[in-house]
Amino acid sequence: MFNDQVSDSAFSRRKALQAAGTGFGYLALAGMLGLQNKPARAASVTAPLAPKPQQLPAKAKRIIFLFMEGAMSPVDTFEYKAKLQDNDGKPGPGGGKLVASKFKFQQHGQSGTPVSELYPNVAQHVDKLCFIRGLHTDTPAHPQAVIQLHTGARVASLTRPSMGSWLLYGLGTENQDLPGYITINPSPNFGGAVNYGSAFLPAHFQGTRINDSGFLPNLKPQVLSPLQRKQIDLVQDMNRDLRAVPGAPSELDGVIESYELAFRMQGQVPDLLDISKEPQSVLDAYGVKPGPAGSFARQCILARRLSEAGVRFVQIRQGGWDHHNNLHKGLIANSAATDQPTAALLADLEQRGLLEDTLVLFGSEFGRLPTAQGVDGRDHNITGYPMWMAGAGVKKGFSYGATDEYGTHAVEGRMHTMDLHATLLALMGLDHEALTYRYAGRDFRLTDVAGNVVREIMA
Amino acid sequence: MKLRRLSLAVFTAGMLISPTQYLFGQADAKQDPAKLEFFEKKVRPLLVENCYNCHSADNKAAGGLRVDDHNGLLQGGGRGKALVIGKPEESLLIKAISHTDNKLKMPPNNRLTDEQIDILSQWIKDGAVWPALEIPDDLTASSPEYDRLRKEHWSWQPLKSPEVPALPGSAWPRDNIDRFLLSKLNDVGLTPVADADRLTLLRRVTFDLTGLPPSPAEIAAFQADQSSNALETVVDRLLQSTAFGERWGRHWLDVARFGESTGSARNLPYPHAWRYRDYVIDALNKDKPYDQFIREQVAGDLLPADSEAQSKEQKIATGFLAIGVKDVNQRFKVRYIMDNIDEQIDTVSRSVLAVTASCARCHDHKFDPISTSEYYSLAGIFHSTDDCSGLRNKMGGGGLDYYDPKMLLVLSAASQLDAEQEAKMAKAKQAADDARTAFETLRDSAEGDEKAPNGRPKRQVARQKWNRLQAEYMSLSDPAAFGEVAMGLRDAAKVGDTEIRIRGEAEKLGPIAQRGFLKLVEFEGQPSVPADKSGRLELAQWLTSPKNPLTSRVIVNRTWHHLFGAGLVRSVDNFGITGDTPSHPELLDYLANEFVADGWSLKRLVRRLVLTRAYGLSSAATDEQLTLDPANRWVWRHSPRRLQAEELRDAMLAAAGVLDRTRPTGSVAAELKVIELRNNGTEAQRMVDAGRNSRARSVYLPLLRTLVPTSLEVFDFADQGLVTGSRDSTTVPTQALYLLNDAFVRRNSLATAETLLANSNLNDQTRIEAAYLTTVGRTPSPTEVQRAQFYLAEYQSVAGEALAEEFAAVQQREQAALAEAQRPADAAEPANLIAAKAGGLAAAQQAAALVANPDDVEQTEMVTTEEAVQSRDARTAAWASLVQALLGSGEFRFVR
Repeated sequence: MFNDQVSDSAFSRRKALQAAGTGFGYLALAGMLGLQNKPARAASVTAPLAPKPQQLPAKAKRIIFLFMEGAMSPVDTFEYKAKLQDNDGKPGPGGGKLVASKFKFQQHGQSGTPVSELYPNVAQHVDKLCFIRGLHTDTPAHPQAVIQLHTGARVASLTRPSMGSWLLYGLGTENQDLPGYITINPSPNFGGAVNYGSAFLPAHFQGTRINDSGFLPNLKPQVLSPLQRKQIDLVQDMNRDLRAVPGAPSELDGVIESYELAFRMQGQVPDLLDISKEPQSVLDAYGVKPGPAGSFARQCILARRLSEAGVRFVQIRQGGWDHHNNLHKGLIANSAATDQPTAALLADLEQRGLLEDTLVLFGSEFGRLPTAQGVDGRDHNITGYPMWMAGAGVKKGFSYGATDEYGTHAVEGRMHTMDLHATLLALMGLDHEALTYRYAGRDFRLTDVAGNVVREIMA
Repeated sequence: MKLRRLSLAVFTAGMLISPTQYLFGQADAKQDPAKLEFFEKKVRPLLVENCYNCHSADNKAAGGLRVDDHNGLLQGGGRGKALVIGKPEESLLIKAISHTDNKLKMPPNNRLTDEQIDILSQWIKDGAVWPALEIPDDLTASSPEYDRLRKEHWSWQPLKSPEVPALPGSAWPRDNIDRFLLSKLNDVGLTPVADADRLTLLRRVTFDLTGLPPSPAEIAAFQADQSSNALETVVDRLLQSTAFGERWGRHWLDVARFGESTGSARNLPYPHAWRYRDYVIDALNKDKPYDQFIREQVAGDLLPADSEAQSKEQKIATGFLAIGVKDVNQRFKVRYIMDNIDEQIDTVSRSVLAVTASCARCHDHKFDPISTSEYYSLAGIFHSTDDCSGLRNKMGGGGLDYYDPKMLLVLSAASQLDAEQEAKMAKAKQAADDARTAFETLRDSAEGDEKAPNGRPKRQVARQKWNRLQAEYMSLSDPAAFGEVAMGLRDAAKVGDTEIRIRGEAEKLGPIAQRGFLKLVEFEGQPSVPADKSGRLELAQWLTSPKNPLTSRVIVNRTWHHLFGAGLVRSVDNFGITGDTPSHPELLDYLANEFVADGWSLKRLVRRLVLTRAYGLSSAATDEQLTLDPANRWVWRHSPRRLQAEELRDAMLAAAGVLDRTRPTGSVAAELKVIELRNNGTEAQRMVDAGRNSRARSVYLPLLRTLVPTSLEVFDFADQGLVTGSRDSTTVPTQALYLLNDAFVRRNSLATAETLLANSNLNDQTRIEAAYLTTVGRTPSPTEVQRAQFYLAEYQSVAGEALAEEFAAVQQREQAALAEAQRPADAAEPANLIAAKAGGLAAAQQAAALVANPDDVEQTEMVTTEEAVQSRDARTAAWASLVQALLGSGEFRFVR
């Protein structure tokens, strides 16, 4: 069913992809199962992930989050600080010795935004980007900050639903044949599965983990398709027998439908996750290569393919940014792994019209200090750091907020992690104060009791 | 609440501090305004500018020291107090900033000016004044609204003794419980449906009580028993089987958010958690009175014991409050302690009382009458308690850094150490300490980057050496190496009340809260906390007093929930204002009274409930009834339920005849060293494999947080982070994919098929009947037999052609394996296999411990392979497929 040829209209291709799940396919199935005769029941039982209307008008329908785990150094990449460059070696705020960036910055695009030489390809797209430069968070350690960024929990031992789970809970997903929330190559530690878990939200809202070659457990049919189809037909016969019994479990419609969905997923998803289906020109544009060095490029292509097919929230990850030492070489290696694929992703999304309704988010759990640590390193900084967004709903070639003249503290347009969450939800058409889930007697929110929506960045 | 925000203008430009941090700062009457001004204008900016990057909450407490907090300075770090009030010359802070001691120069490489040093000296001389916290006026005040709620809300009122409805002339009720139900049904105009048929009832009660399907022999015996007490015979048999404790113990383990690792920021294994798991299962099987069960879990270490065995058992019970989620990477110890206490308060209040006391950590409870002050009354009890989970908090630790064997309960007196061993230990400790010093010297120096003879940076080599020696010392001194240890609680060396923490911030100390219990349940003669004890024993007594109406109501309701599909109070973990109200308040109190009067016996409660007329109802329903009461709140029928994850897995193993009913010794997780687990590491893979290959009951699978076995995870396993009295029951495609493709399902389907085919006493028709009997607990109708026969024939013919090559390959492998098995070798012995794998595990953990930066490891996902399960011929394949279809069917997945 999945057609890998790039059609003359990228937009229609995407529509066709999504229709496979929610359009004709679903209706045909519903008709086959007689679901239309009892719509109310069918809706509640069988489709917990069916798309739901946005609470507020908004352009973004899906998010791709490029997570730079370990905290990339802002003053060496996207935060140019002239005063830091002029005061190399002098005492810095809070103690310690200032270290100027060894990397050259240059202004790019019509917006004239400075970007360091580590990101020459992303720099070409700087007029698409919307920087938020006044971020701050609560805990200066990776695990807690990673967990807070993903789940909002200020105390890491409180297990809370992840951001993607909240989105899925609030919006459902566009393509019922696919998981609505996919995380590629997630952190093996720093909370691990907590970062894409659903906690007390029902399990179908949790993220599905795949690796950077697109492996999804139990997706590959273990017998030939016609034989498996026979088995499913038998299961469905038995299920329909049971459903005919008065007072049979109300979930049976769901059981029946879930088998059909699973069968369709087996047919479509492996193709979708197979990046070798892309033309060589696309693979080259992203810089796909085998092995760990090409991991991020593969993840970027997978992210585009999944978003295009209607996955609500896709997260990809590049680790190895924790440069307490080996800052210089480490930055070169990590930016080399991420620059070209990130730029290619932006270009690809734009060319396919996907940037119209997809929001791209790029950044780390916190930043690093402008001062030195050891011989060639920088320590954590939670008091001021940037991220950037691009695409649906945000201003282009725009910067919001700022850190001080050295890049230590956020002084303008300060945005706490909770504000980031509130704003992301708003960009997706959800009111962070209204998106609640009652569990054990309490209404929970992604933003707990905090969070301000930053409207200044909205297009 | 009267609060005044301090002007932020006094802070230097370019520096911002979270306003809440200083929200309560205010000069109290005794503080000299001039001194305060000196502090804010001169001292604080100096500390911020020069020290905060290494010594503040926004960064870290290097050397254990924080300078952004008065207590932080007074208590100091690893080197002791940072300042002595009034005596700058004796204050470490002044010594450090003066750069007079070569080993202590702060800030490093940047001596402050003499003028700056004078400012700090002056400040210390003048009393080191720090703005006092303002205590909100109403922090300890009583609230009329709370008083009203305490008097009015149903759940914390004393138990009533309701009259049993008379219902003259009705033959339907079998028990008083039925009378309460029928009376309500009469009121709402519903009539109970007919009784369930015998086979349905047998399957229902067997799953409900043991989590297992009835075996074909049990089905036959029940059908043959035409006596009037046939059901009682079955129920008594089930209650006596060890499977009862495995099923009902698991219900409690859900409530106890059982897990075998910390989860959270750094996932550290709990190698001894399984002792608590076994304790729970045994307690249910022994029918330990529920009040005793709770007392032991809260304060077992403080209870009298008649024997060594009893003392051991009671200590293990306290694992309940030590096995929670913990953030060992929390760099500030006081936060680590207060977070763990919060977790304990949340668990004990929600599990036993179904109230959410932890909501009052930062502010008075918004709905329920629980003040912050009461929260810290409870917190004082746990603050006076050692949380013995074998762990300590550590910033950025690696290897065994988080392991603290002193924080474990020793169950068996460790074998006496002779002088030689002690000397060995002392030597090992010295070596480890020396290596640590060597590493710390190299850590931040340029020399650390130089290459050692092996080509690696010297820093890394030094770290590896330290880790290796530390591990050697640990293995010599680890009490777990000498005898039995457990996780649990003990009274701390220092007991006493603790301070209310302003807005829940661990460092912001308010007034002392006297230790005590929640005021929403107060009764005459309730225990009070002695000054020289933690108060846990008294807490346990307060919880389990027959006069505490919540404890009995909550457990009776939990039991009802597991047998009738939903509680009389639907919100089983929340009896507070925002919780549900009981559908049958009189029945709830009746049951609670009877339960207490009957010696808090859970087995007798379960027995009585399943022998009611109501429990034995059919699940049949008409549209009319469903419209009137779709959720079956009035119990006019039996609500069908989906099998839980463990039941599905165990039933598949049982159908295949390979379920291992013996309890495994310990847990696979017990083999793990207390080193961080990564989801992509070898040790994690080993846990996953062990879960996948195990044939033991699901309750015994390794249950490390974030590494839950797929077979459980797919079917809504309990959240291991919070008390879970009621699991979700979802229906999603991942479950179908699991049932279609997972090796576990396919392997057991194949095993069932092979057993059926190997039995030459059967023909195909009786084989089909046997397949139905072992999977769905009944014999098939003639139509079903026919359909199955047709399916088998068709499948076999298609598979015979399409899969010929696969079958040939399998047969070849089987022959090779047969030849191998005939050799007198021990290589195939599972025990050896496990030992070999465990060796690999130790090596992997060792490797993990040797990494210089614990976060600097392979970050990409491991390559996962799926095990192929293949049949030897088309006939077997067809039968395996038939069995698999039965296992995927709604009839298998639900009990009615």
